[in-house]
Amino acid sequence: MKKLFGLEKIKALSYPAFKTLMIIHFVLFFLVILIGSRLHFSIPGFSVKGLYQFPNIWEFFPWVASWFNLFLAIVVIVLVGNEFAFKTFRQNVIDGLSRNDLIKGKLILIVTIAIYTFVMVLLAVLIFGFINTKELSFTIIFENSYLLLVYFIQAIGYMTLGLLISIIFRNNGLSIIMFILYYFPIEPIIRVMFKSEARRFFPVKIISNLTPTPEFLTMTSEKTYTNASGTSSLDFSSIGLLPEKLPLGITLILAAGYIGFFIALSTILMNRKNL
Amino acid sequence: MEKVLQINDLSKNYGRIQAVKNVSFTVNKGEVYGILGPNGSGKTTTLAVVLGILNANGGSYQWFNEPFTKLARRRIGSLIETPNFYPYLTLWENLKIVAKIKDAPDEDINHALGVANLLKRKHTNFGHLSLGMKQRMSMAAVLIGNPEVLVLDEPTNGLDPEGFAEVRNIIQSQANQGKTIIIASHILDEVEKVCSHVAILKSGELIANGKVGELLSTEETVYIQSERMEELIEVLNNSDLTSKVYKVENDLAIVLNVNYKSADLSKFCFEKGFPLSKIVVKKQSLEDQFLQLVK
Repeated sequence: MKKLFGLEKIKALSYPAFKTLMIIHFVLFFLVILIGSRLHFSIPGFSVKGLYQFPNIWEFFPWVASWFNLFLAIVVIVLVGNEFAFKTFRQNVIDGLSRNDLIKGKLILIVTIAIYTFVMVLLAVLIFGFINTKELSFTIIFENSYLLLVYFIQAIGYMTLGLLISIIFRNNGLSIIMFILYYFPIEPIIRVMFKSEARRFFPVKIISNLTPTPEFLTMTSEKTYTNASGTSSLDFSSIGLLPEKLPLGITLILAAGYIGFFIALSTILMNRKNL
Repeated sequence: MEKVLQINDLSKNYGRIQAVKNVSFTVNKGEVYGILGPNGSGKTTTLAVVLGILNANGGSYQWFNEPFTKLARRRIGSLIETPNFYPYLTLWENLKIVAKIKDAPDEDINHALGVANLLKRKHTNFGHLSLGMKQRMSMAAVLIGNPEVLVLDEPTNGLDPEGFAEVRNIIQSQANQGKTIIIASHILDEVEKVCSHVAILKSGELIANGKVGELLSTEETVYIQSERMEELIEVLNNSDLTSKVYKVENDLAIVLNVNYKSADLSKFCFEKGFPLSKIVVKKQSLEDQFLQLVK
């Protein structure tokens, strides 16, 4: 394991394109949340600031970061595609790695990138959360913090899908195009062909639903409203303004199943195909 | 004899094309084994299968009398076709990867770069090397971990005469250390100079194998020229004087049957009305044998 990590470290960290892409990922994420924090809407009862406060920030920041998970998947596609283009996978096998080691090495890379993005979002959450939240308590700070772990699983999900696609197509350009096309429109079109219940169980749908669009209405609005009969609490679900979702537990289990499937299929293909 | 590589009925198809057909041979410890064949004869495919980068469609192979494991791989240093390294990494970083895989110490890297005459270039990116330097870099990688067996596919590809000689010296010095070396090549001179054994492939089939000394038989070939060559071929084929008659450029190459000498041939041709304008006697080279076999 240590050896494979060491190998991936040399391969990735000395690759200028990898460093550039990771810097772009970091800068873009912080740019989006910084720009977002400067936005002010003059709508009575609504405030963007609510998104940058504990505990909403645990939901909002992973959601923003999840857009860039597609970017991380493309980074994985490029790194794996390079191994085929440079024929270095075959050289690694000749030198003494097994084909399973090749997959393990890339999984270590994927988990490492996921840890990096996890730490990046965690730091951003803590910095912006503490700056923008007035009433701090242990409960408020850590409520919903588990959503960051869900984001971590999502990052692994997208990157393992990227790994599978790059092993199937073995060409950077084609793999990136197929990955993007599968994300949109191939899977959405296939989903339309199925009954409404089945549509929710497709891989990209499940993985993207791990960090669903935050319920902006509840986060940015006042929690109560006042009319002639007094003050009442607002329940957007009851008036049909919030989408129906699968329970998070089920989504997580299904996502883990898909990740397992992507890894298993990648391993089978790596072992069956010529290098 | 301790068997290093044993191949039994190995076959490999690319779609409908059968690149390797039921090939079997054994390489023993300490042998320098040449695999000869024209382009497309299945040399590289055979080596790629036994090194585990292509999957066989039939047959089997064993390294060191056991199934091919990760540990077995580390006892072998291989160079297959083109040098395969990360172009954006320096030579040292590329060899560091090889050393890590083989659990070899870092000292091996400098030693290998020194042997391949690339020590001054160790901080140069692999992508910036000339073809010849890339090939020498491949030789350096092969030497990492001091492997017991070297598998070299066209090791002198792209080298200038100086590089050619350097690589040949490396191979020779490794052979002198008692290492087993398997070389695939279509350069006959290369094989003839360094190999103790040879296997000849044609269209994916093994057509001959054995010791170079045995394949390089002591029989002489007589090269002749005369007018009406086509008629002369027919006359010679019908005589009991010759065992083989074949054309080599403008000459007729003739292998005489035992007990006959070139003087007998000259006399026979003269008597049959084919006075010879040229008669040269040569011991058969591997090239002659090879050309006969692959015809």
